[in-house]
This record gives sequence, structure tokens and C-alpha cells, in this order.
Amino acid sequence: MAGILKYLCDIDTPEVLVFGITGRQGKSRSRLMRGFGTKIVAGTTPGKGGQEVDGVPVYNTASDAVSAHPEINSAVFFVPAGAIAKAAFDAMDAGIKFLVLTADGVATQDSIKIKEKAHETGAKCLGPNTVGMLDTHGYLFGLIGGKASWAKKNYLPGKVGVISRSGGLSQLLAAFHCRPYLPGPRPDGSFGPLWKEDYPGLSAVLCVGGDPVPGITLLDAARAFEADPRTRVMAIYAETGTTQENDLARAIENAEINNPVVVILGGKYTEAGVAQSHAGAMIRNENETYAAKKQALENAGVKVVDRPDSVFAATAEFLK
Amino acid sequence: MPALPEYKTRVLLENHGVPLVPAVFHNVMPEILPEPVVFLKAQIPGATSRAGRGLVRKASTTEEISNGLAELLAEENCQGVLAAQAVDIKKEYYAACLLDFGDGENLPGGVILFSPDGGTGIEGRTDSLLKIHFSLLNPPSGNDIEKELEGIPNSPELADFLQKMTSTFIGYKLTVLETNPIAVLEDGSHIAVDCRAEFEKHAVSKKHAELFKVPESTVDDSTPLEKIVETINAMDPAGTGFFRASREKVPVGTIAVATNLCGGGGKMLWEMTTGGRNDIFSLNESDTSGGLSGFKSYRILRAIMSQPEAQVLILTGSGMAFQNQYHLASAVWKALRESATPLPCLLRFGGTDQEKAMELMNTVAETLQVQIKTFRPEIFPNAMVEHLSDIATDRRIKQEFSPEAGEVAFEIDTPPARFVYHPEKNPDNIEPLCINECPTGFLQWNNNRITSNPEAKCIGCLVCETVSLLRGNGELTIELDLPGEVL
Repeated sequence: MAGILKYLCDIDTPEVLVFGITGRQGKSRSRLMRGFGTKIVAGTTPGKGGQEVDGVPVYNTASDAVSAHPEINSAVFFVPAGAIAKAAFDAMDAGIKFLVLTADGVATQDSIKIKEKAHETGAKCLGPNTVGMLDTHGYLFGLIGGKASWAKKNYLPGKVGVISRSGGLSQLLAAFHCRPYLPGPRPDGSFGPLWKEDYPGLSAVLCVGGDPVPGITLLDAARAFEADPRTRVMAIYAETGTTQENDLARAIENAEINNPVVVILGGKYTEAGVAQSHAGAMIRNENETYAAKKQALENAGVKVVDRPDSVFAATAEFLK
Repeated sequence: MPALPEYKTRVLLENHGVPLVPAVFHNVMPEILPEPVVFLKAQIPGATSRAGRGLVRKASTTEEISNGLAELLAEENCQGVLAAQAVDIKKEYYAACLLDFGDGENLPGGVILFSPDGGTGIEGRTDSLLKIHFSLLNPPSGNDIEKELEGIPNSPELADFLQKMTSTFIGYKLTVLETNPIAVLEDGSHIAVDCRAEFEKHAVSKKHAELFKVPESTVDDSTPLEKIVETINAMDPAGTGFFRASREKVPVGTIAVATNLCGGGGKMLWEMTTGGRNDIFSLNESDTSGGLSGFKSYRILRAIMSQPEAQVLILTGSGMAFQNQYHLASAVWKALRESATPLPCLLRFGGTDQEKAMELMNTVAETLQVQIKTFRPEIFPNAMVEHLSDIATDRRIKQEFSPEAGEVAFEIDTPPARFVYHPEKNPDNIEPLCINECPTGFLQWNNNRITSNPEAKCIGCLVCETVSLLRGNGELTIELDLPGEVL
């Protein structure tokens, strides 16, 4: 069975190029990714072509790497924010179709240019400012889990697709759906285990990132989960700011998304013009407020939970 | 967003060939005054509606120029005064470049807002403005823009002006660039009479750093604890260490909570928990995340715990943190041992080594002067807060701590720390357990002394001290100086 990337960007098996593989982050995150099962084919760092990192060959540019390894179809970036646009363009020009941009602090103009370039080339970019993605099919990009052993222990195959605008909550929502006997508030008002050993499990988790101009949006991710036969319900962490929730609500109303969707909506107390948690959470107009988004989502039939720990009981209800 | 004052925005425009009204910038009273008639404009970053506030003045005589310059230069946060030549304006336009964030149906890019009626009252008529969307990747040519200006007089000249504006906007990765007005002069030329720009600090390239340097406000309302945390960040820059004290007084009848929130997820969970409650008062905002060391966690915790009004500390992240939770627990334990007024705590650990973190805190709980409750990550902050009133205190415990004297084994600069060996606690000169527990191999046992391995790096995890105190005889302690007075 294919992983979520099949439905996001038509990639059956990701074969990955790591940008910045010779740096501290690049090395340690590559080990995490490989330890989880991701196939890392090559790395790239300008001026360090010819080296190897843990047996992975390093090239100066993406085009050099792709020439030597035409099977490369995806890339992950552990490069500073100021260098991300150039590196992403390098990858897209080399024909790479799925990019994961982990850097925080990317200039908004650079994020926009990357999105425009992705539109031109047909590539899909997760991020910037993302912890990445993980598929229980056996691959991960970025830093989810921190350690491969921890990631393998916490993220187990199942029926829930998780999408989030927050790195920490991506990990939380995904992992807790995989814990037997998870305690939480139940629909009848009591508190206790929400399920027994038959936890719902995870198909995949996609962190779309906390920036104002994400590459892959909540809606793009929801479309992929809608097409993924493993996924029977989506759990989403959404926020104020951007039009992502409004776009998602519209797609659900139009029956483009039919799987049940449960949303934790952050930012109830966020004031306009203030980014409470993430840069992208800043409210720029009345459609981006908590109230407007909650109404749009609920009108579309989305279950919006008030308590953050209520999401698990809500997804479990849909799986009954 | 930080704003650039007019005199600096002019430099950006000038570099991209945008014609400007002749003007000279004075940051001190000039020896030779400008020739009248001039407009004197105070250069205050972010200042808007300057004319209404008396920050722009027409000066028609030498005396008016002299007095005006002196008065405007004395304004708060004024970086100088721009003396702009008065010109005869035949026609005014308004133009701005902004970011267009796009939506589900439209790609993001840039947008030109244009008004053929000038900029007066522009805020009230944004819906009637001409909006020209453009690509940042493939910026518009003058011809592209001219097509959008159909029916507007002087469209070729205007299009050329607007193309140079977009080039400036993209070239410096601005978020806002406004010229108000664009003036058409008698000879048909178009010039920017006034302008301003906004930008993201992280978008400024090193090459342009000086140009975008905006002096900090002369009004510094930072609290002493905020300044201490700022210095901690300067000493140990890795990871986020954010702290901001509330400026509000603790409302009567509320529980005053000092918060150590880890990451955006932790902040958002806390906001969702307490935003609608009037019985819990958060004394501070905080964010410790992004791979900070245990040393830094300790130092920031000491500052957070030092808030005199605090009745209880809550520490929580999203529940699946990246920071090793055992390292974090080691920092919490150290802070509770060494603080003069430790706080009762509700502690939620979630992430790598969460079990070890819980075990550590539960093991040492009995030895602490204050009550602590630990929570598994499955218990969210909205459930944790039900325990606040059980352990919050109106009377802070006082304890004394002074580091035990020993031999300074070595010191490190980043993150800063002093490693102290206590040979009297190791009379048989046996290799202490902490040596092997160091996750990076930084600690070594050489000639009956603890030394550092020059090939390895200390990550400031505090595991060595925790192991030494809990499982050894206390052979090694770590002294972490604080850059200021904390409790």
C-alpha cells in the first residue's frame, strides 16, 4: 500500500536528497530519517562535493546529485533560512517534486517565490518552518520524533491522518492516537481511557508549518488524506491567521472532502495584529479570526473541539 | 513589522532609480541652514500622520527653519530631520506595494495599490483603489503595468515609476513600500514626495544590514528579570529562551502562576486552557524551545521562579517536545534546589526520555522544600490546572543555598559553566559514575581527576550532576552563574 506522498505528489517511494547534510543538523536528522526507514540517496552542500556522510555521497548541487542518482524524487533541507530559496530553486530546477523546508525565519518574500516556483514546476513544498512529515508506511522527513527509536515507538500504523500548523502539536496529535488506553475526557463527561489496546493509529502526519505562506496548505494535505485509503478520519490543529481553514471549510462544504474532520482551533484569545504562537497565526482581517474560522468550519460540518484533549475522543467517535 | 523612516526609504528607492523630491537629512543642527522654502520632516521610525502631529512643518523663512529644526530634532525617538525642497505639484497619485498572501484559489505574490486621486484619506477608501497583482518570481515590466493603468493620464511615466517601485520592493524583500504622494511636476516628471517602508528583520541581507539598522527605542520598559533573560540568551544563544512579564497587577482572587511554556504548542495549549478563565493569572509569557541546553533551561527557570508574586509554577510543552525531558527535569531539580524561594510546581513532561524525567522528579520530590506534582503528557494543561489551588502557596518557602567548595575541574564558555570536583567525596579515587553517563563523552577520568575531552563537546544537559548527586556521592557539581539578581 502506498504512503501519503502517493496522493500528495505521486511518489510511491521517496528517494531523498538531503540539503546541508554535512552540517550538525543535517547529519543528526539524516540519521533519524534513515533509522526510521527513509531512503536517503545523497546529500548536497556547496563546496563539499566528493565527501561522504555516514556512507551517503555528497554533491555540490542538486543537479549534480540528480545526474548521478536519477531516482532522487524528494528533498529535505537543513540549511539556514537565508539560503533556503536558492536551495529550493536548485532542487526544483533539478526536477525534484517533493521538498521539505524545515527552516524557521524564512523571509515571506522568499516563501512566496518558492510557492510560485513550485506552481511553475509542479513541485510540492512542505513548510517552511515545519518539523516535517512522517508516514507509518515507513518514512519520515525532518525531525519528527527526535530519535528513530522514539519515532518507531510512538507512531504506529492506523486510520487517523494528522495535519498541523504547529510542530509540537503535530507530534502530539499523531503520537497520542497510537497510545493504548489513552486517558481523556469522554463524550459523557467522565475522564478515563478512551480506548483499550485498539488505539486508532496513524496513517501519516503532515506539519504544514507555522508561517504565513505555507507551501502545502491544510487543504492540500486534507485532499491527500481524502485520497488515502488508510485514512478514515482527519485530526487537525488549526489556528488564526491565513485563509487555510476557510479554504478547507469551503472544500468540505463542496463535498470535495468527505472523510470526517476534527479540528483543534487555536487562537481563541489572540488579538488582531498579534502572533500568539506562530508567525502565521497573526490575524490580518476578520475572516482570519477564531470566531470566523470556527463558524466556517462548523457550518461545513467539521467537529471543532473546545478542549485540546477532546480531539481524541472525537476522532474515536467517528471511527466507531 | 519594523518600519524604516523616510530618509532611509529614500535610499532604497534611489538605488532602484525612483526619482525623489530633493531633500537633505540632518541629524544635528547644520552650520549652514537649507534655503527656504522647505518642508521639515521629523524622521521617527513607524511614525504616521506626521503632519497632524506637528512632525512635518513648512518653513518659509530662515528663522522658521532654524526653530523648526531645533524643535523636531528634540522629539522623542527622532533620528533626524529631512529638509525637503518645496515643489509645485500639478497632480498627485498614491501608490504602495504590499505582499499578497494568496488563498486556496490564488497564488501569493505582490500587489500594487494605486489611486489616481492621491493619498488623502486613503485608509477610508481602500476598496476603490486599483489593485495590480504581480509575481515576485517574474516581476512585471513597465509595459505590463502600463496595460493595467488604462485610461489614467501619464500612464507610461507612471508605469515606469511603479515598475521601479516594485523593483525596490522585491530587491529589498520589503513587506510594505509606500509613496504618498507621487507628484507630477510642471515639466511632467514624476517624483516621490514622501515614502515609507516596512520590513522583516530576518529578511535583511548582511549586505544591507547597516541600511536597515533601526535604533532601538529610547524607551526601554524591560523589567530586570527580562533583562536577565536577555543576557542569558546572549551568553548561551542556542535555542529559544523567551520571557516577558505581564504588566498587569495580579487581580484579587486569582492564582498567580509563573509559567515555563515550551514551544509554540505549549503556549497555545496554555492559552486555550486559561484564556477564558478569570481565576488564573499568568504572571509571564515564556517559550523555551528549539534545542536549548539544560543549562539554559535552568537559568531561565530561575528567572521565572524569581517573580515575587508567583504562587505556583507550571511547566508544560505540547506533550511531545524535542528537548530531552530528562535534561529538562535535571534543570528543574537544580532550580528547585538552588532557588532562595522555590515554587511549588505542576510539571508535565512529554517527549524523549519522559519516563526518566518523571522518575527523577518523583525520586527527589521528598527532598524538596516545596510540593511538586508531575503529569504524564496525556494529561493536558486544561486538566492540570485543576490541581493549581491544591499546591499554590501564599507564603513562599525560603531556603539557603551556597555551592559546596571544591576544585574547579574546568570551565566552559558555551554554554557557560564551571565544573567542580569534590575529591573528599571520592576518597578511593574511583572513576565517578557521571563520567560514563555523559552522553557526548566530554567528561574524562584522568589521573584521579575529572577532565574534559577536547575532541568532544558539552551539550549542557546536566546529566552528569544529576547522576553524581543521585547515584554517586556528589563528586561533581556544576556552577551556573546568573547574570543578575534572582531569588
